[in-house]
Amino acid sequence: MWARSVLGIVSLALVFNDALAFKEQDFKTCSQSGFCRRGRALSQRAQEAKSAWQSPYSVDPSTISVATDKAVVQAGVKSSLYPEVNFGLEVRIQEDGAVRVRMDEVGGLRKRYDEAASWALISEPIISKNIKWVAGKKDLRASYGPNEVVVSYAPLQVTLYKNGKEQVVINGKGLLHMEHFRKKPEPAAAVEATPAAEGQEQTVIEAPENPRAWFEGADEDALWEETFNSWTDSKPKGPESLSVDITFPNHPVVYGIPQHATRLALPSTAGENPTFTDPYRLYNADVFEYLASSPVSLYGSIPLMHAHSEESTVAVFDLVASETWIDVSHSTDRSTETHWISESGILDVFILPGPTPDDVFAQYAKLTGTPPMPALFGLGYHQCRWNYVSSEDVRTVQKRFDEENIPMDVLWLDIEYSVDHEYFMWNEKMFPDPVEMINDVAATGRKMVVIVDPHLKRDNNYPAFTAAQELGILVKPKSGEGEYEGWCWPGSSSWVDFFNPNAWDWWKSLFKPYQLEGGKWSWTKSTEDVHIWNDMNEPSVFNGPEITMPKDNVHYDGWEHRDVHNINGMLYSNATWQALAVRSDPPKRPFVLTRSFFAGSQRFGAMWTGDNLGTWEHMEVGVKMVLSNSIAGLSFAGSDVGGFFGNPEPEMLVRWYQVGAFAPFFRAHAHIDTKRREPYLLPSPYKEMAIDTLRLRYTLLPVWYTAFRETSVSGKPILRPQYTVFPKDRRGWEMDDQYYIGGSGLLVKPVTKKDVREAEVYLGEDEVYYEYFTGETYRGAAKGRTVTVPAALDQIPLLVRGGSVVPTRERPRRASGLMKYDPFTLKVALSKDEGARGELYLDDGETFGHQRGEYVWREFTAVKSKKGLRVSSRDLGSARPAEAVEGASPGLTSYDRGNKYARTLEERDVRVEKVVVVGVKAKPKSVKLDSQGGKELEWEWTPGVGSKEKKGGRAGVLVIKDPGVKVTQDWDIVIL
Amino acid sequence: MVPWLLLALPLGATAAAGSDKLLGVHPSALAKYTPTKSNTWKCLDGSKEISWNAVNDDYCDCPDGSDEPGTSACPDSRFWCKNEGHIGAYIHSSRVGDGLCETECCDGSDERPGTCPNRCKEIGEAYRAKRDAELKIQKTGSKIRSTYIAFAHKERKRLEDLAASLEKDIVAKEKEVEKLREIAERTESLTQAALDHKRQSPLYQSLLNHNKALKSLKREYKKHADKEKQLGQILDSLRTGYNPNYQDMAVLEAVRGWEELAGLPHINDVKKDGEESSTPEPESEKTEEAVDDGLWTADELDSELDDLIGTDYTSLLLEHEDHINTPTEDSLLFKITSYIPDAWLPQYEAWKDNFVDWLEKLGIVSEESSGSSTEATRAQQALTEANAELAHMKREKTESESDVLKIFNPEHFGAEGEWKKLDDTCINHEVGDYTYELCFFKEAKQKPNKGGSNFSLGRFQSWNKDARPGSPEYYSKQVYQHGTRCWNGPERSVVVLLTCGVENTIYSVQELEKCEYQFKGTSPALCLPPGKEPQNHEEL
Repeated sequence: MWARSVLGIVSLALVFNDALAFKEQDFKTCSQSGFCRRGRALSQRAQEAKSAWQSPYSVDPSTISVATDKAVVQAGVKSSLYPEVNFGLEVRIQEDGAVRVRMDEVGGLRKRYDEAASWALISEPIISKNIKWVAGKKDLRASYGPNEVVVSYAPLQVTLYKNGKEQVVINGKGLLHMEHFRKKPEPAAAVEATPAAEGQEQTVIEAPENPRAWFEGADEDALWEETFNSWTDSKPKGPESLSVDITFPNHPVVYGIPQHATRLALPSTAGENPTFTDPYRLYNADVFEYLASSPVSLYGSIPLMHAHSEESTVAVFDLVASETWIDVSHSTDRSTETHWISESGILDVFILPGPTPDDVFAQYAKLTGTPPMPALFGLGYHQCRWNYVSSEDVRTVQKRFDEENIPMDVLWLDIEYSVDHEYFMWNEKMFPDPVEMINDVAATGRKMVVIVDPHLKRDNNYPAFTAAQELGILVKPKSGEGEYEGWCWPGSSSWVDFFNPNAWDWWKSLFKPYQLEGGKWSWTKSTEDVHIWNDMNEPSVFNGPEITMPKDNVHYDGWEHRDVHNINGMLYSNATWQALAVRSDPPKRPFVLTRSFFAGSQRFGAMWTGDNLGTWEHMEVGVKMVLSNSIAGLSFAGSDVGGFFGNPEPEMLVRWYQVGAFAPFFRAHAHIDTKRREPYLLPSPYKEMAIDTLRLRYTLLPVWYTAFRETSVSGKPILRPQYTVFPKDRRGWEMDDQYYIGGSGLLVKPVTKKDVREAEVYLGEDEVYYEYFTGETYRGAAKGRTVTVPAALDQIPLLVRGGSVVPTRERPRRASGLMKYDPFTLKVALSKDEGARGELYLDDGETFGHQRGEYVWREFTAVKSKKGLRVSSRDLGSARPAEAVEGASPGLTSYDRGNKYARTLEERDVRVEKVVVVGVKAKPKSVKLDSQGGKELEWEWTPGVGSKEKKGGRAGVLVIKDPGVKVTQDWDIVIL
Repeated sequence: MVPWLLLALPLGATAAAGSDKLLGVHPSALAKYTPTKSNTWKCLDGSKEISWNAVNDDYCDCPDGSDEPGTSACPDSRFWCKNEGHIGAYIHSSRVGDGLCETECCDGSDERPGTCPNRCKEIGEAYRAKRDAELKIQKTGSKIRSTYIAFAHKERKRLEDLAASLEKDIVAKEKEVEKLREIAERTESLTQAALDHKRQSPLYQSLLNHNKALKSLKREYKKHADKEKQLGQILDSLRTGYNPNYQDMAVLEAVRGWEELAGLPHINDVKKDGEESSTPEPESEKTEEAVDDGLWTADELDSELDDLIGTDYTSLLLEHEDHINTPTEDSLLFKITSYIPDAWLPQYEAWKDNFVDWLEKLGIVSEESSGSSTEATRAQQALTEANAELAHMKREKTESESDVLKIFNPEHFGAEGEWKKLDDTCINHEVGDYTYELCFFKEAKQKPNKGGSNFSLGRFQSWNKDARPGSPEYYSKQVYQHGTRCWNGPERSVVVLLTCGVENTIYSVQELEKCEYQFKGTSPALCLPPGKEPQNHEEL
């Protein structure tokens, strides 16, 4: 295999030259993947056959079994192609109206992988006890509310209707095909069939006509073995792929199935003039210098797709962990057809009926969970580089931040901290005093995030490796014996199999920052201020097929890697998350960043968009990718500020900071070959612009934190693209360059192009919006309106939606934790109806006390009446205790306003220092606190436009100075 | 009113309480913080008049932030920590009330009472102890520095003397050269015609061609050898510095290929699934390179080819003549009469006697064997040698003169010449598998401890260009550039950061960016005598 000739060396020079680009040849296209090829060929035949095409799968009515106590129906399914093979179908309707369709081969030669749900779902979904299935002659039906689910017998088809209108149709195009397990044909027969006598014309042996050719094609294509580049996949189980078509006859646009570097509204891959010629691929992969517009798979996969129309939003969640290709096409302007082709696993599709985007978010969250409340520092600014090379370097960087007064919460260490890339093991020559270094960073309220990758160097002196070896928890090669060896950063490595339960407790033990009893190794040279970055968990294997593991590797319980591939990365960050959560007593919220992810990864921390390039295109597509992740449940997301590769020019870096400051996860990172680019290194005036952006992020932390509370409970995304806020507004459906932040009313449109000094912002409603900094008014329209806002290099197009109350803390400090007792400023942006509403959620930001009721959740309102404008603060914790926080302890049905955390805020006199009312047309006569005997407050009014007025210009602004109210307190300010 | 008011207030009064209007105000600005008769106060930038009660009330009223010297309310104001027992200092308003007890504000006056103990006594003591220790180093260092300066003066003297004596030698040498040139020219003109004829010999012509061919071959060979060496270096650094981020199996293959070709051991043994791990094969062929009878070995080629190419063919031609013609024919010089016009003969004869006499003196012809025909070449040789010596002397003189200029040039060895002593002084620092060597004003190098080739990290380029030549900051940084180019990266370079110390040392080496190193070190040359350093900063 290895080059043994001088020729090999000569060709090396050529490799160097074009090494810096996406290497198309390293990754498969559909036509290079046997089962995808078969799946697409099936679709092709169906299209050619047109109306003559009929699915060979049908329900055997005699086998139907309807549960009497809950909405479950089971039935046998047959394929006319293989009458001897049995399939079992089960359709369940859950409490929330979601429909789960499962199909598996019954009594086959082997078992299909059916455990994906056990990793992705938070619990077994509760099946409705109220909805009833009714078996008819032709179909099974179940009705609830406006919805009806119909399972047609022949051919098999599952349809969700809403008010009689088709929402989701499974197998409507007849592309359902579950390849059954079969015996491998004797190789001898194959030899006989090709008597290739040299120099003679090859004899064509007439095979008997294949009765299944109309469906499966005449030739067997790559059923048993498949070679890509130099790797051969032995496919010991033979063909087991699964093809299924899912049609949305009344939904013209689809979103989701991250991760792809493309638009939020998924461009087509099939049908007439498709944008991409290959299907979207879900196969977690470490793609070097990925393209900024492509359907190729990237680091993570969430097989969730939203389908959207004016009337409803629905979704499908195809819970499969194997490599999956998805074609998207539109046969008409109003419909979408999708075709899902997976390599293995059972059929397990959830139909989420919506009908609004928020309903879909809730239904999906019910299945896979929500992001927990993050550690507050995780929302601050993260400074990373490959690599800060020594503890001296780390201290110097921290010092430079402090000298320039730049907020920063976390300093990161990439792989070079470790000796020989043996994670946990400090390179003591460069980091002679790791604990002291961490403590020095922590002394200013900061944290460190240190990388721990999943590959373990095969070094008998490396405790993590030897322990894993002893426990027998390493992934096995195709033989099922011994340990799989591959190549990654440290050279020859092996991988822990986190599907093996024996790995879990061991992994937890490694992160203990103290000496374990019994002398077992743990990371004593760390502290509770160290959090973890999990990279390369696709897994990335440098000498493996498509830079990952061979599919025939063997995991726990004998499952092949192909069966579990897309889940692999999630289990790794999950294990790390659990380890950090139990590291300390009382437990503290972990921060774990992962590159690879799957449905459910939102429960285990943050993700980022991987190794992006320092180009404007990547800056732009990064926003779209983060939005796509957000609507697929994984809100805690961001892309590397500055781009991982390359040396961004100052203008680009400034804009990138603006992008990053408006993403939930805000980290700057850089490749080892790049110049240093910490914000303090920028020349003026760019430096000041970047610093101002960072400080803006810190003043807005209450907004981000409050948005996380809502997400943690409802599953609604932190970043909300236009279609999720205005589902009926067709003009907003394709928009993926502007978005709202939680329910705060902040609308941002980051500039992602060079030399741009103006931005077009779309306002999808008849409402007034205010420019965040100047109060300039912009009016939307019921039909939507595009307005032009200034966007000089130091300006971020940031608007406040009329009707919002935005809580901020205007004292950015060195780190978020240092701001915990700072006072709040409320920006009350009046709506055209002169009202406003907003929320503020607070807790200690580091423990799980919030789940025991230790939090403060406030509502701020502004209401106009004859008695003037009343701005009020009310307690939401008492009003809605059950929906306050995620993971609340059972039995926590009421809220104690005097809880430990709230008391701390009171003791520290945490107050509202300023109330800014925007859109006040006339100078008030008086501004009084409606308690404490109606004390007149100090205030200042700047003339300008009122919120009701149609004309443009700066809004009239009323600034109320220090009303003398605590943030935990109920109060009313009356403006006459 | 100000001082007693300060004393009356409890130290470290809470910022939020707002009772202390003068909290955080620098002593020199205290006078500005007094209310008007109507109990108002004007922001320091004059932009706004506010109530005196609004000063230090933890709410930012003034656009310039001047109304909140004692709180964190204004985003960009400063808080003055008195730090009695230590040195007063400003901290940024963002650090007021952040719950941290920073050293800069050792009296804790920026935090709520009870948050931070007053640590000024211990911090002040530690600070003074540190300062004393530094002062001691500075004193010792400055003594060493003065020896450096003395050295520079001596060096100047030496160089100036050298230049002067060289000047004399040069004058003498120039005369000698003049004479030799005359002789050589004459000899040349005498022999040229005969030589030209002999050079028509096919043998001679063929020899010249052989020589040309040899030279060309040598040139080509050298080119290839250089290229091979460079390739070898590239591959060596690829092999040792292989950056797997490129995740490129082609690179791995290249490394393995190179290892086999160069007979190197495998740097890391990884094998693809199912593939045998191969052990390095004994490199038998390489050592047993067969050499045909009589042919030169590589070593011989190396040492003898140059000699061969450098053969003086004219001499050879003449020797050849001598060899084939039976001995004792008159030297060309003495047969010259047959070539010159008759009219010139009398003068010629007179001159000839004189000239032969000269040649004898110089040893170009001997009295008895003046039959040799190489005197022209020898004359030329003598001239060349004399010329070379002259050039060398001149160069040496120019160098010493320019060295003299450099010694006290602030942009070279410093205004006092304090750096001259370190010219070409080398110091080392070991980090991990490498030793880093810095030869001041020459070159920085990275030397692998386990063997392998050295890398140049760059040659001296400049002092700190961002500082004024002659200032201490100017000499606190040296830049070495244009070292060996990194594979797929820039040329290696070093920034040397220096501070005062009693020794010339490097104590830290970091590669902050790829192939861009930072050395930190000390040198007595940076130790100004205490009290003489420019006073340009307020302490702390």
